[in-house]
This record gives sequence, structure tokens and C-alpha cells, in this order.
Amino acid sequence: MTAAIGPRALLAAIGAGAVAVLALWWQSTLSITGLGGWLTGAGEILGLLAGYGVIILVLLMARIAPIERGIGADRLARWHATGGRYVISLVSAHVLTIVWGYAANAHTNPVTETGSLLTTYPDVLMATVAWGLLLGVALVSARAVRKKLRYETWYYLHLYTYLAIALAFSHQFADGASFVSDVAARFWWAALYAIVGALVLWYRVVVPARDFVRHGFRVAGVRHEAPRTVSIYIKGRRLRELEAAPGQFFRWRFLTRGQWWQSHPYSLSAVPNDELMRITVQDVGDHSAGLSRLKPGTRVIAEGPYGAFIPVRSGRPALLLAGGVGITPLRAMFAAVSGTVTLIYRASTWQDVVFQAELDAIAQARGATVHYVVGTRSDLGGDPLSATTLRQLAPGLHRMDVYLCGPPGMTGSAVAALTEAGVPRRRIHYESFEF
Amino acid sequence: MRRVILTVTATVAGLVALLSFKTHSSDPERTVASPTTQPTLQPGERAVTGNVANTIYGPVQVRVLVKSHKIVKVNILEQPQSTNMDVQIGQYAFPRLISETLTSQSARIDAVSGATYTSGGYINSLQSALDNGA
Repeated sequence: MTAAIGPRALLAAIGAGAVAVLALWWQSTLSITGLGGWLTGAGEILGLLAGYGVIILVLLMARIAPIERGIGADRLARWHATGGRYVISLVSAHVLTIVWGYAANAHTNPVTETGSLLTTYPDVLMATVAWGLLLGVALVSARAVRKKLRYETWYYLHLYTYLAIALAFSHQFADGASFVSDVAARFWWAALYAIVGALVLWYRVVVPARDFVRHGFRVAGVRHEAPRTVSIYIKGRRLRELEAAPGQFFRWRFLTRGQWWQSHPYSLSAVPNDELMRITVQDVGDHSAGLSRLKPGTRVIAEGPYGAFIPVRSGRPALLLAGGVGITPLRAMFAAVSGTVTLIYRASTWQDVVFQAELDAIAQARGATVHYVVGTRSDLGGDPLSATTLRQLAPGLHRMDVYLCGPPGMTGSAVAALTEAGVPRRRIHYESFEF
Repeated sequence: MRRVILTVTATVAGLVALLSFKTHSSDPERTVASPTTQPTLQPGERAVTGNVANTIYGPVQVRVLVKSHKIVKVNILEQPQSTNMDVQIGQYAFPRLISETLTSQSARIDAVSGATYTSGGYINSLQSALDNGA
């Protein structure tokens, strides 16, 4: 079993790092006097925390395999977004307190002091450009703007944060009171940045490139499952070495003229064997539409496996609850989960139901149960996944491990219904993807 | 929204706590003798160098030029300059301290606000120069 780092361990490590950063400020600061001293001190603390926070944000997105497996890409992305808003606030507060504090100390006004900071303090100009870049990235990530952008536009703009981090780095050592006269502090700070940089390079560049060469992923074929849903088979060598678990996903980059520049996460929709993997995609955007035209033999870069949505070995019976195209990871799990298993598959029309023959065959082979809950709410006369119906469809529900995958709205209401039916939150496993 | 308010409050409270702890602690200033370089003197002038006064931001040392028992000039030999801010503070504070010195003809002068430690160092070094026979 591959190693996994859980949420508590990671949060504890991040918290310990933050305490160490505060300790660095504490031991490098002797005493504070007056308004200028207070503001400057606050600016130093905010700056140190921002410099630490920004590298932690990068760490969360470095796609480090044990962290991805232990915490899940969806939760990491949410932490990154929340943390990002916090760090951008820290950076901005740092800028304001430093300007104001330095102005108070030098008995000038903030405007004059801004000028002198930009022109006479080493590397402050670069750091100011970095701040502008970060504000720009924050702006395009704001919900209102983000919705209007293509995923790729947003993604490539987001890469400017790397430039911002590089530009802001040198002013920390050149002007930061905690670093100017402390070689050890400079060493550890630089080591932190270097280690995170190396992890990013390793997990986002070297490993995918190595896997591309080692496994030689290629499209084996495309199958139409439903009017708007296709399965893509990807062949490769020694795929077992990837140790992909059912429920996990890869980020796929199909090397065709129109698609090589974008990569998308899709779950495995079957348990992979040593030569073949399968993903199943619903046509929702221009990218997924292009997938149905993929030619066999097309080379593929597959990054992964990712995701913490994997069966736990508890020995309890399992309930798999799928909504729409959320069936894909659960289809893989359905064949792989050990013990008693029930699958409830929610879809709004029978046309949208995929894998029906496969699911029935698996159910028969292992003596499992499949319930198709198909139709709109009004067709079915109320909430088709209420606590009462769930209990009827899966007797003994409160003793089960539940795996849930579906669109965000369905996930939310299903979690509420399951809780109402007596399933403890820690036994409800789900992964939500919104890009 | 509640989470935002909570986060902001926690951050500000943490900052204030850290900063206020630092406000209470302070370091005593010590004075240490140091070697001097000879200045070029006008006829009738005498140079007396003060001791190095260590402040938390760095050492301060002054030299006083005396002509017929009158302080005519104060040079700053050493001043805190480990950061640009120290230099800025010095640029602001020393001219004021020197002009006060020339007016009062003694080391009994007020500290410049916002430059308390630097002023303290200046006054200590100046006093030692005057004690040394300026």
C-alpha cells in the first residue's frame, strides 16, 4: 500500500511551521517603541507569515502523491482557495503596515515613504510588482470573474504566482529585519523554498514525464456509452506499477493538435489491469466533446493516480451512491469493494444511464444489489434520495460505509439524508469536483 | 462571512499580543570605549571622542569639536545602519540632536520622538565626550 499523509498530520505540520516563523520574529526583535515600532513590527510578522503562507499554498498544489492520497485533491484545492484569500490579505496588510510604520519612524508621510521604499530599499520594487501579480491572480480567481473565464485561461494566469514568488523572494532577505543579520534563518528559509520547489518539479514534471516514457500511454479505443457519454480506453505497459486504486483519477493530456495544451481530471471507470485503463466522460464542455473524436494510437500523458476517494478496509457492508456521471469511480469500486455491497444509481433519464449491462453483470457475479433511481423529482413524487427511501433501498444503512459521487447539489442533499438516516459523517466518503 | 470575521479577529489579536509582549521588554544600554581616528582641525579647535554607546539598533558614537570651551560641532562617527530604516531614522534624528546640543551646550537634551534609542545612544556618547574633557 502506498504511503498516505492525512489531514491532521499535514495541518499540524503547517501549524508548527507557522509557530516557528513567529518564533523567528520573536528572537530577532528586541523591543518595540511608539506607533512606528508597532506598525513596523506588525508589518514584519505579516510579511513573514505571508512569505511562509505563499510557499505552503504551493505545497498544497504540488500534487505530492502521499498527500493527494491521504487528503484528496478536492479538499486540497479548497484549502488552497481559502488559504489563498488569507495569504493575499496578509501580503496586502504587510505592505500597508510597513509603509505606514516606516513613514512614522522616518517622520515622513506615507506617500513620500512609498517613494523612498521603492527607490532606495533593495528589491522592494520587484516585490511590489509581485504584489501586483498576486492581486491580479486573486482577482481572476474571485468567483464572479472565475466563472466567465475558460478553465485554461484561468489556469495559465494562475501560473504567474510562481513569478510573483520569485520576484518577492529577494526583498525578504535584503530588507527583512529577521534575516539581515541571521545566517541560520536565511538558510532554513531558503531551504523551505528550495524543498517545496523541488517537490513541485518532481511531482508535476519529472514523475509524469517518467511515467509517460515508462508506461507509453496511448488511446486504445473510444466507445459511445450514451448519447453524450463516451468511454476512452488507454493502453500502456506495466500499468499495475502505478498502483491506481478504484475511485482514483488521473489528469489526462491527450497529445493531439487541439488538446495537448490542456489536461483534465477523469476518474477510472473500471478497475485497471496491467495493460488497460478506462475513463468515462460526459460531454459537458468543448474539451470533452473533442474526446469522442480521439484516434486510437494517440499518445497520452497521464498524471496520477490522485484522490483519497478509495475503499477503506473496514469489513463493513458498503453502499455506493452515484448521481449522473458520478457513476464512473463507483463503477470501478463496485467491482473491487470487498464484502456486501449495494449500488444506488440516480439519473434523470434512462438515456443518461451508462454501464447498465456491466453493472447488472457485476451484481449477478458477486451477489450484489443495484437500484436504478431514474426520473425527475416530479416523476418520482418527491425527493428520490430521502433518508426514508435510502433506508428502504439499503437496509442496515446506519452500519455501512457510504461512497458518494455526483454533482455538487446532489452530494450536499445526499450527505444530509445519509446523516439523517444515522450514518456517521466519518463513514460518508465523497469527492466533489468543480472546475 | 462569520469565518472571515473570526480569522481577521484572530490574526489581529495574535499580532497585538506578540507586539505588546515585545513592548515591555527592553535592553539596558552599555557603553564601551573604542579607538578613534584623528579629525582635521581648524586652528584653536580640539576634538574629543565619546565612548561607543550600544543601542538595540546598533552602536552610536560621537566626536565633539570644542573651541574655547564651546561646542562648535558634533560629528557622528558611528550610527545604526543595519537596515535602511535605521539610516532613515538617523538622517532624521541626528541633525535635530546636534542642533539641540549646540544650543544647550550640554548633553542635557531631549530625545527625538520616534528615535528614542538612537537619541539615548547619542546622549550617552556625547556625555562621555564632555566628561573626557571637552
